[in-house]
Amino acid sequence: MNRKQFPILLPALLLALLASPGLRSAIKPHYGGEIVIRLNEPSSFHLNTANYSNLIFYSLIHESFFYLKKDGVITSNLFQEYRYDTAARTLFLTLRDNLSFSNGKPLTARNIQVSLKVFMTSDLFAASRLSKVVKNIRIIDGRVVIELLADQPDILSLLTAPELVVLAENEQSFSGLFFPQEWEKGQHMILRANPYYAGGRPYLDRVRVTFTDRPAPDLFLSAPGQFRDQCLEFSSGIYQNVYLCFLQPDIGQNTKIALFSLLKRFNEATGGRFRDLNSLTSDDESPIAIRIRQFSPQKTASILKTSEIKLYALSSLSSMEKDLSAFLRDTRLKIETQFIDNSEFTSFLDSAAIKYVLIDKIFQKKSPAEEKISRIVKESSFNRFNAHYLRMLSELDEARFSNSQALLTEQIARISEAVVNDGFIFPLFQKSYSLYIRTSWPALEIDYFGRPLLQKVSQAHD
Amino acid sequence: MKKAIGSLLLFVILAAGAWSQQGAEALVLECTGFLRAFFKDRFDVRVAVVSLENRSELGDLAMQKLYQMLLSRLEAEKNIRLVDLLVDVSAGSGRFNLSQAHDLDFLLDLKLVQNKSKAGLGLTVFSRLQDRIVAVKYFEQAISRGEMDLLQAKHFAFSAMGFSKLLEFESKRDLMDIQSIAGDDGQTQYYFYYPDEIIIYTARETRLEKHSQFKLKQTRPFFPVLHPEGRLLLFRSDQGLVLTAGGNFSPGAQVLTLGDGQWQEAGKVDFVPLRFLTLNQQPYLVGARYEEGRNFFKDRIYFLPFSTPAGSDGLQHRRICPAMAIDISSASGQLQAVHVIDREYAYRLYSADFEEMKPLTEKKGASLAALNGEWLAMSDHSRTSDQLFFYDIRDGGLRPVYSGKVAGEVRFIAAGNWRDSRGFWAGVRQQEDGMERLLVQFWGKGDE
Repeated sequence: MNRKQFPILLPALLLALLASPGLRSAIKPHYGGEIVIRLNEPSSFHLNTANYSNLIFYSLIHESFFYLKKDGVITSNLFQEYRYDTAARTLFLTLRDNLSFSNGKPLTARNIQVSLKVFMTSDLFAASRLSKVVKNIRIIDGRVVIELLADQPDILSLLTAPELVVLAENEQSFSGLFFPQEWEKGQHMILRANPYYAGGRPYLDRVRVTFTDRPAPDLFLSAPGQFRDQCLEFSSGIYQNVYLCFLQPDIGQNTKIALFSLLKRFNEATGGRFRDLNSLTSDDESPIAIRIRQFSPQKTASILKTSEIKLYALSSLSSMEKDLSAFLRDTRLKIETQFIDNSEFTSFLDSAAIKYVLIDKIFQKKSPAEEKISRIVKESSFNRFNAHYLRMLSELDEARFSNSQALLTEQIARISEAVVNDGFIFPLFQKSYSLYIRTSWPALEIDYFGRPLLQKVSQAHD
Repeated sequence: MKKAIGSLLLFVILAAGAWSQQGAEALVLECTGFLRAFFKDRFDVRVAVVSLENRSELGDLAMQKLYQMLLSRLEAEKNIRLVDLLVDVSAGSGRFNLSQAHDLDFLLDLKLVQNKSKAGLGLTVFSRLQDRIVAVKYFEQAISRGEMDLLQAKHFAFSAMGFSKLLEFESKRDLMDIQSIAGDDGQTQYYFYYPDEIIIYTARETRLEKHSQFKLKQTRPFFPVLHPEGRLLLFRSDQGLVLTAGGNFSPGAQVLTLGDGQWQEAGKVDFVPLRFLTLNQQPYLVGARYEEGRNFFKDRIYFLPFSTPAGSDGLQHRRICPAMAIDISSASGQLQAVHVIDREYAYRLYSADFEEMKPLTEKKGASLAALNGEWLAMSDHSRTSDQLFFYDIRDGGLRPVYSGKVAGEVRFIAAGNWRDSRGFWAGVRQQEDGMERLLVQFWGKGDE
């Protein structure tokens, strides 16, 4: 080999080594080990997928009915057969034999039926879409039989919602890849591999979900474009929108704008962790921009100085609790913050005392704009939802089936305009997420909803 | 003219092949000739090479090949009773099983050296009865570079030593094991074990024909698995034909007996039987237990006195290490050794007394199977270049005799036979463009 060849050959060799996915992997995968994941601390084991961190956490302990992969393929670990009969307008789901929850108790068609019904009664957009088409859910010969009101060949895609999971009859058993074993509040949680997991036990023995930065996490969420040297970055396709909502009609416009201006300044003061959001869904896809004029600090202070404001915020925003409290304290205004659990939020809505609420919504970039706008109206209009919105949503449905993109966009613009004019929801910020995993953990995939699929993840071992 | 050049080239290539082993052959012939003359007046002399050292440019494989060429020549001598004690060759020297050395009359020491462009072979003959060196001889031959390459080639001159792929066909995915047994009509039946059923085939010319199939009933606790693994055992006992089947999705195995042409449940055992052996004149099921839901065995070998209905009375165990693969070599129904791939993918050997033998070579693998007490097949452990290694284990060691590349990943190996050839079944997983298929191969010895 002459000297001129060497520099060419070396990069080529390196490239070949890097391109070889199985180079460091043995034929028989190695079971065992622990991965450390950095997430926000959940409030309970009760399903709550309000933010991206929760979406990941609950996907570890509750099994989804169906998975929607990034390439659009739908799979299931639970069902050995799923068949839609067009003539009968019925979906048949046949469970795999001998399935169990994490404590060994049988997982039966009855659990599937109950979980499906629980999901359909939730006030989620995906649930209401499903409820509209399902006539009946029965169990016949051990199969779950879902009868539809009308022919719906894409019924399976409605069952891929990440919130549709198998729920157990008691709080000590779980259907997911892992089950909780130890929880040290404020520090960490240990999840153990579920030996009865329907898709086959994961390679990992444990997941340590840390709520602090110690130990250094192997898998974590952060803003895009960082940690290039040590980690693989997955664009999750997920963004989180934060909105300021006004639940009572008697709030003055100046107060609304002053509070809005104050929160915008909070983001600037804390280093601009969020991007400004000037639309209800995303600035990239919204047909109209919502430009709410901001008051100066002096005007804001003069408007709010006489008010006693209690600002409620969902616990899914608890990561900003410390900074927000400190910021508001520094303003010397009488603004008190209270974080409430997402699952308890609906029970607070009847109270006239609740006026100001910070909420968040997570969206998948790829989901259609009309779906997002419908979600916002249905899930965030609270007690302000009325016949006017119902009619606009019906018109949106019609526009969706009209095959006219112009008509659809126009309807989205009309709804956005109505929501902003009614003044009960002001878009504040948006945050995009990437999922990072250290390079010592190959074989990670993420699904359509940005959830890491840990079943086949094992530390490089040879 | 072109034709003439073509013919000339062909001649040159053929001639190169024909002459390619001239030097090595000559060296071996000279050495054999000397030993023939040395032992010509003696009758039934017991001889073995006990030392082999290489200081020449030849590699270990070439040295081993020379050794085998010499042995095959000496074996043809009627007055010489040759004993092959070589266990393996590595790092320029041979390792020998010297436990039988006291039964020998003469011990041979071989040393290969390099003398400029020639390879030299030094021979020393030691008489055990006289307790002294009785002959020293040096032979020398030029071995060309091409001949060296040929000697180095990973393929043995003796087809009798080699295993070759005799059969290949595609199977349903999730095939875990294959075993065979002669049916009542004398025809061999091949049992293919899948997680939920067993399909029985018979051989017709060079293919398998489906004979029958039956479902295996799974009960709780049931552990769904990413990689199903299981072992099947077939044997004849006083109760007739018995089948045991167990995998990593269940804590134990089902025992079935054949009655009135139907397989009937005959109990369960708390481990997965690997062999049916006789210990102290009593029949035993010997096996191991999978870590439920995972792809490896726990650290114990279980022994259960066999009776039907099968239960767990008299279950005993001996400790080994957790294992990716286990097989038991036996001779005449007696336990000979336990062969193990541990969780670090290293080969480990346990004696019949469950004492761990010092590994003679540091060998890594993923799956293995023993064919009686004679041969061991082991797959590689790296996904990029899987291959099968075949070893001679008759002397208690691990002497490599052949290796063959495999396109895909070897999922399991099972000892068996295909028609009249003994050898190993291998389940090979191939993946291409997201599609996966399982190929079944049979590797057998051509001389049997």
